[in-house]
Amino acid sequence: MLMLRVRFHGRGGQGAKVASRVLGTAAFLEGYYAQDFPLYGAERRGAPIAAFTRIADEPIMERGVISEPDVVIVMDKTLLRDHQAKPLSGLKKGGVIFINTPQSPEEARAEYTIAGQIITLDLTKICLDILQRTVISSLAGAVAAKIVGLSEASLKAAVEKVISEIVTDSVILEKNIEAALYCFHAIPAVELKTTEAVQMESRVFTMPFEPAAISSPALNTTGTTVLRKTGNWRVFRPVWDYDACNKCQICVARCPEGCILVNEEGFPYVDYENCKGCLICVEECPAKTLGKEREVHAKADSEEVIG
Amino acid sequence: MGIERIKSIKDLPPEENVFSGTPACAGCGALLSLRLTLKALGRKIVIVNAAGCFTLLTIYPYTPFANSWLYTAMASAPAGAQGVRDALDILLEKGRLDPEEDLKVVVLTGDGAAYDIGLASTSGAIYRNLDFYYLCYDNEAYGNTGFQRSGATPFGSGTGTTPPGSVRPTGTELPKKDLFEIWRSHKPPYLATISPAYPVDLINKFKKAEQYKGPKLFIALSPCPPGWATDPSYTVKLAKLAVGTGVWALKEAVYGEVSHTIVPKKFKPVEEYLKEQGRFAHLFKPVRQEETLKKMQEMVDDYWKRHQLLL
Amino acid sequence: MKKEMLTGNAAAAWGVRLAEVDYIPAFPVTPQTEIIETLARWIADGDMASRFVTMDSEHSMITAAGAASATGVRAFTATSSQGLLYGFEMLYAVAGWRVPLVMVNVSRGLSAPITLETDHNDVLAARDSGFLQIHCETCQEVLDSILMAYRLVEDERVLLPIIVNMDGFYLSFTREPVEVPNLERVRNFLPPYQPKHAFFKASQPMAQSVTALGGSLYSYFKYQMHLGSQKALEVYKEVCVEFEKEFGRHYDTIEGYMLDDADYVLVMTNSFSTLGKAAVKRARARGIKAGLLRLRLLRPFPAENIQRALTGKRAVAVIDQNISVGKGGILHSDVASCLCNEKQRPLLFSFIGGLGGKNISPGEFEFIFTELIKAVAGEAVEPSQLLYTEEEWQEMVRLKRIAGKE
Repeated sequence: MLMLRVRFHGRGGQGAKVASRVLGTAAFLEGYYAQDFPLYGAERRGAPIAAFTRIADEPIMERGVISEPDVVIVMDKTLLRDHQAKPLSGLKKGGVIFINTPQSPEEARAEYTIAGQIITLDLTKICLDILQRTVISSLAGAVAAKIVGLSEASLKAAVEKVISEIVTDSVILEKNIEAALYCFHAIPAVELKTTEAVQMESRVFTMPFEPAAISSPALNTTGTTVLRKTGNWRVFRPVWDYDACNKCQICVARCPEGCILVNEEGFPYVDYENCKGCLICVEECPAKTLGKEREVHAKADSEEVIG
Repeated sequence: MGIERIKSIKDLPPEENVFSGTPACAGCGALLSLRLTLKALGRKIVIVNAAGCFTLLTIYPYTPFANSWLYTAMASAPAGAQGVRDALDILLEKGRLDPEEDLKVVVLTGDGAAYDIGLASTSGAIYRNLDFYYLCYDNEAYGNTGFQRSGATPFGSGTGTTPPGSVRPTGTELPKKDLFEIWRSHKPPYLATISPAYPVDLINKFKKAEQYKGPKLFIALSPCPPGWATDPSYTVKLAKLAVGTGVWALKEAVYGEVSHTIVPKKFKPVEEYLKEQGRFAHLFKPVRQEETLKKMQEMVDDYWKRHQLLL
Repeated sequence: MKKEMLTGNAAAAWGVRLAEVDYIPAFPVTPQTEIIETLARWIADGDMASRFVTMDSEHSMITAAGAASATGVRAFTATSSQGLLYGFEMLYAVAGWRVPLVMVNVSRGLSAPITLETDHNDVLAARDSGFLQIHCETCQEVLDSILMAYRLVEDERVLLPIIVNMDGFYLSFTREPVEVPNLERVRNFLPPYQPKHAFFKASQPMAQSVTALGGSLYSYFKYQMHLGSQKALEVYKEVCVEFEKEFGRHYDTIEGYMLDDADYVLVMTNSFSTLGKAAVKRARARGIKAGLLRLRLLRPFPAENIQRALTGKRAVAVIDQNISVGKGGILHSDVASCLCNEKQRPLLFSFIGGLGGKNISPGEFEFIFTELIKAVAGEAVEPSQLLYTEEEWQEMVRLKRIAGKE
């Protein structure tokens, strides 16, 4: 019996849900039983989300999140150090990790101390080149299709079907297919050596009574969201050129997050830990002294060992 | 009147009262409206939040606020504000709360609650002359559920429930409700429209409102990058265009007397504002909807002619 | 202490007055309106130092009451029927806020069709919300239960809102002698509310009722509400003892009437329990070992007490003055659930009676006892039955004819 579980990790707006649908559709078109499902919290664009695809040659008797995937597709490598997303958790022995990064597998392995098979490809660059945008749903779906061993024809049909349900513009559809097929061919054929999932043993806990002072959903703290480190959401980061900056403070006033501060000399600087990379500051700078750079280094928000 | 008005962006109160790290979308115009509003109101406030996007700013165990906050349902934030205000007054009167501990009560609501489901409880609170601030972050649709038509959605906008199709190409066929006028008919002491792109105007309006006891309304037209289908970096640019084209009139009303606080010297064509946004893309492609665009310009012109600010 | 002739509504108002409630947001609805009118009158005359606000709906009213409670004052509100359902969403919200709001519900059948008289579908619809529920049989009990309710839910081990229920018309508008306690004694029994867990003040900002995403968080908060409600069973016992000490009246979670040696038992709630008691007395006169169990505290559900009271009985009839459409009696299920594992469990019958205030006549009670006795003698237990008389059916036939339903 074949049963493959693929977990996609992306950021809201990157297309993890659609990627899981491309894969699910491709498997379905190839004659398998398939199931796909997204899970997102309150967060919107930029926040970590996960999506899941199950592929089997028998009816699927599972639902909900995949806690022990055979394949993990990391659509944004900053997620590797995100303590909410934890993209590598539960990955089965012999499973495959795909990471969207310009790094080689060896570089990624060294940086994140990951065990297991790693495949890398810079999907964001490919997407920017072909589609001039950073929504990499079709590309990630294509990568997953290749890893699980689906055919090019199924993938192409799946991208056509799924993307045409979302966009009406035929040019965008064609470019999605082009980008997907490019990625499909750029990924080497791999062998999945995972075994059937081993359910972790969990013990049922008898919850004790706690008085309402403790157990009401109220917070007795303030300003704690800063701990969440939304800086990981960025695709591009704002960068200041102090030689040209006239200290007008417009960028400070325009930042929705309130994370542009002013230093002792009156120059603005940003809290990169939490800047979401909306780039309103870049757009609004009257002196055009702000530039943007693509994020290529994940921002560590903890020293946790990954993998 | 002895109100200290600020003159430039450099005069904005430096204190940040809503912290970063919220789950709001990157480039959220409503968050910018809120951030500026809380600069004006300070920390001695309690926010009563109608269910909407901003219910999700506080997610256990995190809050972005330096002040107190209470969740209510979508329909009844003004009633929650009534309960909180009355309770604070009772505690003050009975000597159970130090006057130093008193708080301003602020309703925080999206347009869905403000224009539609919460209108009855809002009307009740204004009628009862409740002493409270009311901030509506108006992104012109039910943003929290994706982007469906609300009473605040403008004519011509595509939304999840008014999708432009081959038979009905316009998208939303009804004009936006006039919440300002709905409020004004109740004759509260202070009403204003604000914009996150005009922080000086925004702060000064709150400063002015402070002297009035009773309901004080602020409607902030707040660009929503995912719903409006715009780049997050365009949020302020769009908020400025809304004002510059005359689509969003910045005004106030003191006991019903309306005055415009910022009037463009020369109005830009409405199209400049529309063409930047995915929610209006169907008006330009595949076929340019000339009649609809003309009507949208006329609706704006009519407004300014009625106020004798466009001759 | 002197007794006075008071309606249930007036008794409720007295309970609120004696509890020195700070805040009363209100909205009129028959048959509850008299409560808020009485309170408004006392406040206007300076007899009560409370703040009264007429709101724009029950939804707003419950929101305001809960929000005031969350700010730290003692709040009260009252509703009925459609009003309770209009504010229904807020029942769950206010319970989730963990605030000790006391609300009176004056039971009335739900529309459609519109009706005015009592049954319990309104209050039982709220049974899963987190509000505790006390159901009253007499006007005295209404007054006393309001005082007990504040003491119970303001206890920091509980901190959940509560509904005190009385029947529309049959209690709300019915006058009978009620002893109005002395304020000083009430103060001995009920200390002022001093919240330590929910308040708003400048020096200690608090975000109340924040979003809880993810099943394990949500499960924690929900289950803690349940544990808090269960804890109320223990606290209730203490409150009962204290109440009896001060006022001499005792109210257990359940009340047995001629129950100890009974073989055939009626299970009832609210004002019609009085009719049930009379029926038991008549049955005893005929030599039937009848008894009655009245359920008073419905949430938390006093399962153990009910179990103890009914185990070993020969047959039990739950008379539900409500109908879960498509299922039958609501309380029948609850009672069945606490008996099903008992070896000496009685035969359990379900009767639906008194919907929309329909009388339950002596003949109908007699029919019930006959059914119980037949089943104990070996006949099958009939499925859920409606208490409805031949005469009532004949009248219905006549009315249908006028309505053109031939």
